Amino acid sequence: MAQASMRPGNGQPGSAAPGGGWRRIGWTMLIGPTIVLVILGAYLAVRFGSDTPVTYADDEEHFKYGSTGGEHDSGLPYWIFQALPKICPQYLPGPGYASLGLYFEEGHDLPVGMSKRRYMGIDRTFLNCAVCHTSTVRDSSASRPRLVLGMPANTFNIMAFQKFFFACAKDQKFSGEFIIPEVRSLLSQNHRLHPQAPADLDLIDRYLVYPVAISIMRERMLMLAGRFAWIDQQRDWGPGRVDTFNANKVMFNYPMHRLSEAELNAPADFPSIWNQQPRKEAQMQLHWDGNNTMFEERDKNAAFGTGTTPPTIDLKAIGRIENWILTKDAPRFPYPIDTAKAGRGTTVYRKYCSACHGAGRREATGPYDFTGADVGKVTPIDELRTDRHRLDSYTYELAVNQSTVYAGYPYRYTHFRKTFGYANLPLDGLWLRAPYLHNGSVPNLRELLQPASKRTPVFYRGNDVYDPVNVGFVSNVGKEGAQEYFKYDTRAPGNGNGGHEGERYGTYLAEADKDALVEYLKTF
Amino acid sequence: MQTAQQYASQQNKVRWLVVLVVLLAAAGYFGWYKFFREEAQPDWVTATPEMRFKYGSIDAEYNAGIPYWIYYVMPRVFADKLPGPGGLASLGIAWEQGQELPVGFTKRVIGFERVANNCAVCHTTSYRASENEIPTFVVAGPAHTNVEGYFRFLMDCASDPRFDADVLMPEINLVINLSWIDRMIYRYVLIPMTKKQLLAQKEHFAWIYRPDFAPWGRGRDDAMNLTKYFMIKLSMDDTFGPTDMPAIWNLKKYDDSRTNLNWAGDSYDAYTVVVDSALGLLGAPPHDKADFLGQVDWLVQYLRQMPPPSYPEAFGPIDQKMAARGKVTFEHECALCHASDKTGTRTPRSAVDTDSGRLDTWNKQAAIDANRIVAQMGIQRRGLVEQPLDGYDVPFLDGIWLRGPYLHNGSVPTLRDLLKPAAERPRLFWRGYDVYDRINIGFVTTGPGAQRAGTLFDVTATGNGNQGHEYGTALATSDKDALIEYLKTL
Repeated sequence: MAQASMRPGNGQPGSAAPGGGWRRIGWTMLIGPTIVLVILGAYLAVRFGSDTPVTYADDEEHFKYGSTGGEHDSGLPYWIFQALPKICPQYLPGPGYASLGLYFEEGHDLPVGMSKRRYMGIDRTFLNCAVCHTSTVRDSSASRPRLVLGMPANTFNIMAFQKFFFACAKDQKFSGEFIIPEVRSLLSQNHRLHPQAPADLDLIDRYLVYPVAISIMRERMLMLAGRFAWIDQQRDWGPGRVDTFNANKVMFNYPMHRLSEAELNAPADFPSIWNQQPRKEAQMQLHWDGNNTMFEERDKNAAFGTGTTPPTIDLKAIGRIENWILTKDAPRFPYPIDTAKAGRGTTVYRKYCSACHGAGRREATGPYDFTGADVGKVTPIDELRTDRHRLDSYTYELAVNQSTVYAGYPYRYTHFRKTFGYANLPLDGLWLRAPYLHNGSVPNLRELLQPASKRTPVFYRGNDVYDPVNVGFVSNVGKEGAQEYFKYDTRAPGNGNGGHEGERYGTYLAEADKDALVEYLKTF
Repeated sequence: MQTAQQYASQQNKVRWLVVLVVLLAAAGYFGWYKFFREEAQPDWVTATPEMRFKYGSIDAEYNAGIPYWIYYVMPRVFADKLPGPGGLASLGIAWEQGQELPVGFTKRVIGFERVANNCAVCHTTSYRASENEIPTFVVAGPAHTNVEGYFRFLMDCASDPRFDADVLMPEINLVINLSWIDRMIYRYVLIPMTKKQLLAQKEHFAWIYRPDFAPWGRGRDDAMNLTKYFMIKLSMDDTFGPTDMPAIWNLKKYDDSRTNLNWAGDSYDAYTVVVDSALGLLGAPPHDKADFLGQVDWLVQYLRQMPPPSYPEAFGPIDQKMAARGKVTFEHECALCHASDKTGTRTPRSAVDTDSGRLDTWNKQAAIDANRIVAQMGIQRRGLVEQPLDGYDVPFLDGIWLRGPYLHNGSVPTLRDLLKPAAERPRLFWRGYDVYDRINIGFVTTGPGAQRAGTLFDVTATGNGNQGHEYGTALATSDKDALIEYLKTL
């Protein structure tokens, strides 16, 4: 057949000549596009294939700004994140992310507790551990804040943070038309400060990457807003608190509207994370209700809050933090302490408190002594009688669901247990852990030594000005300049300030004894 | 003589043949590895008889196994199709803390990880003295599991257009980093096949969707209808007779050949019941008959020897003097049926007059058909009774304290209720809550806890009648108290 003979390279010796021209054209037609494709492929691989977190050699910097791997799945495109306060200012309590209680160190473009990674061709940012476990302290409203790593994020309002993104994603301005010009303007400002940084989006970013990123982010935020719709029916957690295990139920996509009332409204204070070694070694019952005795499971679970998933969690990065908090100690009380009075307080403490809360600091510079018969163990709720919402939010059904988490990996959870009380916590760095009780319902130590009926029913949270006399943060100031503090009502569900009272709990002590005890507790 | 050219061409053919064979062998190995390779369960599963009973495979994974990662994400993707929050736990399945799978769920690699069930899913129960307590699990006890809820969950998931790789794969990718090849297998083979296989069963489940039949609720199944529609493949009739999961401890009490098992004494011996129930879990003839029968033998031996659980010391001591008085009452009022030659044998319904729903679901022809089908599988057993059955078996009362609610259909919440005339027994209650009622003997069936965890039981629904067995109802209160005290000791 004529057609067949025209086919190049049909194996007949001497037949090459007639087909030679075709062959040359064929090869050219093949080689040209191949080279173009290879170059294009290489370019795309370089541009979109990289997965590079911003890393820090120093452990403390790593804690503050390092990645846990959460940006892979949960990362917010960095420049969109920076643009949103301008796009949706009406959903923030004040100017910028700082109004949510996030703290920006000088010279930093992200607050403490947010990390950055370039992944699939776009810079992304998301939360890390420090966002909930770092805060600031001021001596007075006039003084500069001091950053304290490892303390509860007393000022950070995580519920408002979530609600900001959900509300903005629902806003009609969450679109390329508004966001891209804002991003370009931010880039050009940034270029003036850092001339090596690009002055504008290139064409691929402007017409492909950012439009797609905006639409993906919007879809994702709307999905999360749906799964977190239950928080709209919850009372505001306020700064320094999170409803950990109800949020955890979202991971299993629980139908949240079907939870019983008793499980809901269960926010609890962010905890401090210093001195984990003795906790780990003694296999203390971790979390407020003591639902897990395994340090690593507790940490992996907390890391879900930083956007990680089993495939994306960066265990090495988290391991660095885990290692650092093993021995990182709490800072000491920076105000004068009456040592004679504190000495008298020691006696009271030994009698009433140390069995549950540890032997305390024996000397001003020494380590915290964690020994005590019941330290890190759960006291039944019927005895403790503090607010039970947080306890009831953690159900047996959740515990068994959690034992499926990390299935397929060698570290599947096996230690989550339903408990029926709250854990007795060691008190290292106690002065920075106000307000007190798991739900932060008692503003300062002095009040905790009062019977519940004499504790302040309504006070303000979120202030970082310290009150060294009562040991806690200033809680009677509602407003400071433009900054409004969160009005905490102990009569609301989940906010009860009862319990931890009576003979055993020191609320019957003579005033002088209470005074001495508070003085001693300052040394922790 | 062949020319050099012919020789070369032949050699070429041989070379291609070799390549083809190697490729086919590689493909065959790949297919075998990814779909048929069998791995034993990990050692901890068979470390103790109890663990084996709870988590050990009875070979149901071959036909009834759900690919693990589909099983894993289904409760997340289709949370709205479960009775409440809590994933599979909302079905009241016994689930021990720290365990990856609930009791009665087995995981095994046959090419890929698959999840199926064993006997423990219906035969492990739990109790708690109070709500502020971790459940105590008792193997071989009647489960609180909402079996119909689980069936419906599977059917409803498979029927949902969202049961699709585009929805399931992203959820799977959130929890596990599968290799590219495994993702492709899930996407193009396992997800569509699982959907198809589940949907193929849906027609046989038609009767559980009937609006004129109430849901079985926790702790019950319509066992004989399951046998009719799944094993014998009969078309749907109008009968409905869900019954309590039975306790299956201490099976040696049935060694006596006079006794029969099952609520209506439908089967001649324990071996038959274990075979038939296990075949129900397999959903097909056994993959390896010898292995399957080995499992059955083990189960029968394990359950023959297992003692019934004692009334827990934690519930407070039994008043021995009172129990002794109760024993006298028992001998007078109950022993004639429940501790005599009659025990474990059928008694005419006309005498006891309990709900007939369960009896109506079975008949002689069904027994003949089922026996034939099992015989065709090459399995020898004494089998199902090929006679019309006109009454229920008189049960042995070992471990009766943990077998509430009472009567075959679980229509009477507690022993104390059972000692009341039918007209005074509760008409609406919640079953499946595992907090124990020490006063009335049974589980707590009212109040917010029972309401939240349990399923509503309405005695006016088809098959749910709470009439009959009106024995001892005229006893003096003190005699009833004493009798109940004695029953705790059984």
